[in-house]
Amino acid sequence: MRIKKKEVQSEIFTGSMADISFLLIIFFMITSAFSADRGLDFALPEDTDTPEIKQEDSIDVHVLRGGAIEIDGAGTPLEGLLPYILDKLKQNPEKPVILRTDPDATYGDMIRTFDTLRTAKIEWSDADGRPLHMDVHGKPLIEIQTISIPTRREIENLWSMLGIQ
Amino acid sequence: MGLIRGRERKPAGQIFTASMADIVFLLLVFFIVTYKVEVDRTKMDLPDTWIRSKVPEKAAVISIAPPDDITAPLTVRVSTGEEMSLPVSTTEEVVTFASTEVARDPNKEFIIKADEQVPYEHVDAVLDALKQSKVKNIYLLSEQKTVKD
Repeated sequence: MRIKKKEVQSEIFTGSMADISFLLIIFFMITSAFSADRGLDFALPEDTDTPEIKQEDSIDVHVLRGGAIEIDGAGTPLEGLLPYILDKLKQNPEKPVILRTDPDATYGDMIRTFDTLRTAKIEWSDADGRPLHMDVHGKPLIEIQTISIPTRREIENLWSMLGIQ
Repeated sequence: MGLIRGRERKPAGQIFTASMADIVFLLLVFFIVTYKVEVDRTKMDLPDTWIRSKVPEKAAVISIAPPDDITAPLTVRVSTGEEMSLPVSTTEEVVTFASTEVARDPNKEFIIKADEQVPYEHVDAVLDALKQSKVKNIYLLSEQKTVKD
């Protein structure tokens, strides 16, 4: 007696593949984060105990509570910051900028000022990146070479070193 | 003269769906490739800046968020960049965390993710902790500033 062999179909059922793909897409869409991945970068000095920059050799930018700024002790609008620094750097291009912030000012106030300082490179160049200004020696002025952001502890250390209470 | 009115053929109202699976797969591949785990999911309003550079992928993150209630303390969280962020309660803990990370990798970058309304003294404390830990590079996370801002 001959027994008929049943043929097994060798097919993979793909009907639900689209549904699975859709589910996966929904999962990735919901869980993937379009997070902010850019920011203002800055390098910290190697030696942190004693700030090398002396206040009298530098341009002192002080962010006050409420976002107003003082440059070298005089109140100035934020728009006046770069022109003032430009004038100073024309005399001495290596002059560093010290950015101090009042503890009661907001982080946003400090960032606004820091960002303005960082835009100097764009402000002082033309569309092709050529410098617009020269120092007294005829060298091109492109950017602020040093921006120092001392912490309150460092400022207090400096003051105590100088004997200021 | 009368016109013989034949039956008008109506086009079938069908949407071609055969390529849908391909499109879905393409989207799926896109999402898988661009998938990134956000190590710190604290919701906050970042400050806006013109200058923005790309932050390194595995940089450690320190987030400072304002509390929901004014009287409550700020929420500070730290992450190595590979694991989800954990809350810390004191600046000393930030110093310990940063020192451990710097000991592991002296060139480890740190991201400060702080809300723009946070009082600067808290950011100053974190900055000081990072300086004490001999951190070399810091990124202050921000959103793109536009002309409208």
